[in-house]
Amino acid sequence: MNSPLVEIKDLSLKYGDYTALQSINASFFPGKCVVICGPSGSGKSSLLRCVNKLEEFDKGDVIFNGESLKKTKNISQIRSNIGMVFQHFELYPHLSVLSNITLAPIQVKGLSKTEANENAMKLLKRVGIDDQANKYPAELSGGQQQRAAISRALALEPKLMLFDEPTSALDPEMISEVLKVMRDLADNGMSMLVVTHEMGFARDVADEVVFMDEGKIIERSSSKSFFEKPRSERAKEFINKVLLKI
Amino acid sequence: MDFNVIIDNFPFLMKGLLTSFQLAFLTIFLSLSLACLIAVGRISNKKYVRYPSAIFVNLLRSNPLILIVFWFFFLVPLITGTPLPAFGSVLIAFVVFFSAYFAEIVRSGIQSVGNMQIKAAQSTGLTYPQTMRLIILPQALRNMLPALVTECVIVFQGTTIAYIIGMREFLHSTSLVAERTIRPIELYLFAALVYLIICFTGTRIATLLEKKE
Repeated sequence: MNSPLVEIKDLSLKYGDYTALQSINASFFPGKCVVICGPSGSGKSSLLRCVNKLEEFDKGDVIFNGESLKKTKNISQIRSNIGMVFQHFELYPHLSVLSNITLAPIQVKGLSKTEANENAMKLLKRVGIDDQANKYPAELSGGQQQRAAISRALALEPKLMLFDEPTSALDPEMISEVLKVMRDLADNGMSMLVVTHEMGFARDVADEVVFMDEGKIIERSSSKSFFEKPRSERAKEFINKVLLKI
Repeated sequence: MDFNVIIDNFPFLMKGLLTSFQLAFLTIFLSLSLACLIAVGRISNKKYVRYPSAIFVNLLRSNPLILIVFWFFFLVPLITGTPLPAFGSVLIAFVVFFSAYFAEIVRSGIQSVGNMQIKAAQSTGLTYPQTMRLIILPQALRNMLPALVTECVIVFQGTTIAYIIGMREFLHSTSLVAERTIRPIELYLFAALVYLIICFTGTRIATLLEKKE
């Protein structure tokens, strides 16, 4: 078995008195798409943000590609290998779509403007919005904005992609266009950690499902067995709720 | 009323106005630059950066401008032993004073942008200084433009304070002519008109910028 891309070791996180994560241990392997799900407030997003240290954890460590996030002197370098997509897109409103995507490759990786532009146009074509390159984020629909945000994350050629509820802020008809892009990424072997309520995506695309509740990992299994034979009561309840919407 | 005194003394008065403008522009440029650093310090999570910035801002905002001007004109030369030229000492006092006010505007501008933009920028590997310079400050600047323009108007009005240490800014020049020609009504009316035009224009710009948002 190859070595894990991400190793989470005894990770704990508190916001004041509130415990968001309690001694999490987990490993994620390259080329896999893992969906993290669970009720709101269960710590899914917090866990995801610890993976690129956007959240300062109190205890434990995250090892990315063999490097400790706790000990590293160059967190920016590590982050540039991890793409992240946010619920509310978080495109830079003062920059064009193209500049949104080329900014980090130019500033962080030192690419020339021409080279960065070429790469960005390829990515925009891949997600189907190359005709929007010179517009500002506010001129795009939600689905287009999220696809632009995915392109921005991909522009650094990351080893891992983190998705933090990428479709939760979208109108229903736009969800599928974003999911299609994500499915395409997974099919091409991108390592992905996806926090989502899209159970269809979890079932059809994900290799594994991690179910969280109250800051702990309750259950982790292949997506097939998670949906067919959930082991814990809480997971059963959750699946019923989200699938049957009762 | 004889408004010919204004025409006769126009070059002298305009020289004073130019000095006022120079003082205002240099103050705005330098204090705004300083303010950006102080504002970033104010929201830093490092205590040894945050506390001094907070003390600086609160200290300056709790004192009248005229006192700061006195400090640099009368007291600093006592300490250093070398007197500063009037323009230089007033400029330093103004920059120190107004940077505290500008810093608060910049700080609220930065905070209006939102934490998630910082996280998004950092997630792409940008360092904190890069994030501030390329992502947060440009957006903050746009949000705070109305407040900044209003503060610039206040700086321009504030240049009259330089009168008291004998600098020949516009108001002082006007008053010198008024005394010499014994035509205070005409001259102070003229001065009021000039300040009105400049400051009202500034205020209008600020209002328009506010509406644009």
